[in-house]
Amino acid sequence: MIAKIICYALAGLDGIPVEVETDVNKGVPSYDMVGLPDTAVKESKERVRSALKNSGLLFPMNRITINFAPADLKKEGAAFDLAIAVSLLKASEQLIGADVADTVFLGELALNGDLRPVSGLLPILISAKGHGFTRFIVPAANAKEARFLGGAEIYPAENLLAVVKHLLGFEPIEPLETAEFAVCKRQNSSADLKYVKGQPIARRAIEIAVAGGHNLLMVGPPGTGKTMLARCLPTIMPDLSFEEALEITKIHSVAGILGEEGIVTERPFRTPHHTATTVSMCGGGNRVVHPGEISLAHGGVLFLDELPEYKRSTLEALRQPLEDGKITVSRAGGTFTYPSRFMLCASMNPCPCGNYGSANLVCTCTPAEIRRYRKKISGPLLDRIDLQVEVDNISYDDLTSGEQREDSKTVKERVDMARKIQRNRFSEYALNTNAEMGERELDLFCTLGEESETILRRAFERMKLSARARARIIKVARTIADLDGCEEIGPKHVFEAVSYRLEDKF
Amino acid sequence: MTRYTQEEQALIWLCACNELEPHERAVLLRAAGDPETLFERFEFFYEKAFSGPAESDLSSRKRNLEALLAEMEEKGYFAVTVLSRDYPESLKAAFPPLVLFGAGKRELLKEDIFCVVGSRITPPWAARFGTEIAAALSKRFAVVTGLAEGGDLAAVHGALPAGKLISVLPCGLDECYPAAHASVKEEIGRVGLLLSEYPFGEKTRKYSFHARNRILAGLCKGVLVLSAGEKSGALITANTALEYGRDVFAVPYNPSVAQGVGCNELLKRGAYVCTCVQDIFDCYGILPQTEREVTLSGAEEKVYNILHAEGELHTAVLAERAGMPVYEAAATLSALELKGLVVKSGGNRYGCVK
Repeated sequence: MIAKIICYALAGLDGIPVEVETDVNKGVPSYDMVGLPDTAVKESKERVRSALKNSGLLFPMNRITINFAPADLKKEGAAFDLAIAVSLLKASEQLIGADVADTVFLGELALNGDLRPVSGLLPILISAKGHGFTRFIVPAANAKEARFLGGAEIYPAENLLAVVKHLLGFEPIEPLETAEFAVCKRQNSSADLKYVKGQPIARRAIEIAVAGGHNLLMVGPPGTGKTMLARCLPTIMPDLSFEEALEITKIHSVAGILGEEGIVTERPFRTPHHTATTVSMCGGGNRVVHPGEISLAHGGVLFLDELPEYKRSTLEALRQPLEDGKITVSRAGGTFTYPSRFMLCASMNPCPCGNYGSANLVCTCTPAEIRRYRKKISGPLLDRIDLQVEVDNISYDDLTSGEQREDSKTVKERVDMARKIQRNRFSEYALNTNAEMGERELDLFCTLGEESETILRRAFERMKLSARARARIIKVARTIADLDGCEEIGPKHVFEAVSYRLEDKF
Repeated sequence: MTRYTQEEQALIWLCACNELEPHERAVLLRAAGDPETLFERFEFFYEKAFSGPAESDLSSRKRNLEALLAEMEEKGYFAVTVLSRDYPESLKAAFPPLVLFGAGKRELLKEDIFCVVGSRITPPWAARFGTEIAAALSKRFAVVTGLAEGGDLAAVHGALPAGKLISVLPCGLDECYPAAHASVKEEIGRVGLLLSEYPFGEKTRKYSFHARNRILAGLCKGVLVLSAGEKSGALITANTALEYGRDVFAVPYNPSVAQGVGCNELLKRGAYVCTCVQDIFDCYGILPQTEREVTLSGAEEKVYNILHAEGELHTAVLAERAGMPVYEAAATLSALELKGLVVKSGGNRYGCVK
């Protein structure tokens, strides 16, 4: 008898249906697998055999052939275990009367028959639902992730025996209730803008950066609070919507870094070390392409501390995703596209010794050394960073009025307001923030008055800016005007936007 | 095509010989009496002067000379020899180079020349000041300087747009030091004037800066020192200029600023204080010209006045004094910067330049 069971394989963020066909024939006992299974899938033979035995079920001592269709797709991972076991049971007539058609089986088996969680479950469920499947049996440990998929019957199973009992109708498993998405109230992050001392200029810059989704570079001597400021970024970012959360969860699920909640409720804040390779940054792998740091930072912040220490090639690889918001990685095993719309936040020292521009410390670097240091950041990359701000070590005594320290909540309210304006503006376009505007939108929404135009032209000549830098300045000015609640971009907005660009001359 | 007399040609050949040191050329010339004789009987005088045979003969000398002149013609280089009519008279006060190789606008040599120098580490405000003063000077003078970063480059940026810039190199005309300034050098060769006493292909040596500085001092009527540490090439130029009886001007500095120690030392020894271009013009009897006024808005006026009183301030401090939010102060400051009144000093501080 032949049994057909549906399972799913992952290609990038998309699930691809795989039929597990099992045929049990009379003959010399053997156990063969065909249809491009990789090592982990082949090894399932032993897991399935033991799991069946230890669940009190029978492993057929016949000639067994298992086929995975489509045959040309390389099958990887252990998520097929459950489907193999169920199809074996069905083919050996141990599941008579059970309805297994149109049900998707997912899960890895332990030797004692327990079901282990699989990574990338949510993207599979979403794809499968799109393909018309509405019944799923998943490992109980994946339940938290699975319950965010509405409009489907999802049965979480503890072990193989529970699945069998459920299928035969002895002990039906309760389907999962669809969970309501709730934004994390971030108890787990101790960062807050109220703990940042001084730095009024940098505070303003990160507010603008978050409000408009702009990239940010902080330049300053060591120990002036650059990292601290960066850690505050997620605390003032707008809350995740369910769609955003789902998209981020898909990526994190594929990467296998999904936390306890089963869905991402907080904007990601990724801080890869500067020894990171290009592949770890952009994504890659032997056959399966894993999402890189820039995709894991999708919807959140990618923080690169000590920017010049990163490998030049790694930084240059960021250029194209910074523009497109996605990355396409091609490998022998296929071509995969992952979303990567992140906010880049970088920090660096102004010179090798760190004291250039410091008020009270002497910089011992020669002009050539400083130039060499800053040259590590290429012009094209710097062009893509809208806001470049100096973080300095001004002492308290210089500021007499006792500074007002706003907390993240107050700033976030202003950011939310500015984002709301942007949402209304872009309601008919596939955009979320000012930073994503293209030429067409710039024309539509960023008309400059004559005075502003003149200012920009002068700034242009003086600072020798590129056309891209010009567009970026206008976008920043748009965000500043939004924060101001102004419909039109005024000269003061342009001036402020210009003040956030460092001249890279010395 | 530039025509050279036989005598000039002999000099050019002598000075284009990379193998000879400057003092050796002088010894040979003194022995021979005049360049033409030396050219004709080089081996004889060489053996006499250095008691060793020279490896050259008349026919190959002539060939070399022709090739050299053709090469210069092709690259657009020319040579000003001590025998040329436009050889700067003032230079003869210095240990005068026999030949100056040049590229660009030769007529600049006939102008009144003023020298602007500064050390490689010049604070941003001083560099901006230097650029502006060189621009103003270029209305009445040709400005002469070097090609290094810092003070020299500031002067180049100021005077080059008017095309009144002379840059004297410490190496052959076809070399560039620092290499990063090759494009600037190219530009000077087109709209200004490049000069060098060194033969083509001659690399920069440690002592050639010192030698070059004597030409800077020799060419000019006066020197302005933008910045100079305790030991600085700019000081060598200034001291040489004093020796030749030129006027020396210096930009005053705060006592503790390392890049200004040399300038303040010059002032102590009686150099003229220079805080605006009129200080220099006054010295040469040039009357002030009325400048075009820039108009400032209310906020700009306020911020400018505070900064003007303080010299240099942090944006946050400035905002506090002006009673406006920091981001507004930042916007106002970048407006002032575009108007050329203030300059970014690094570390979120701004300096007043006018």
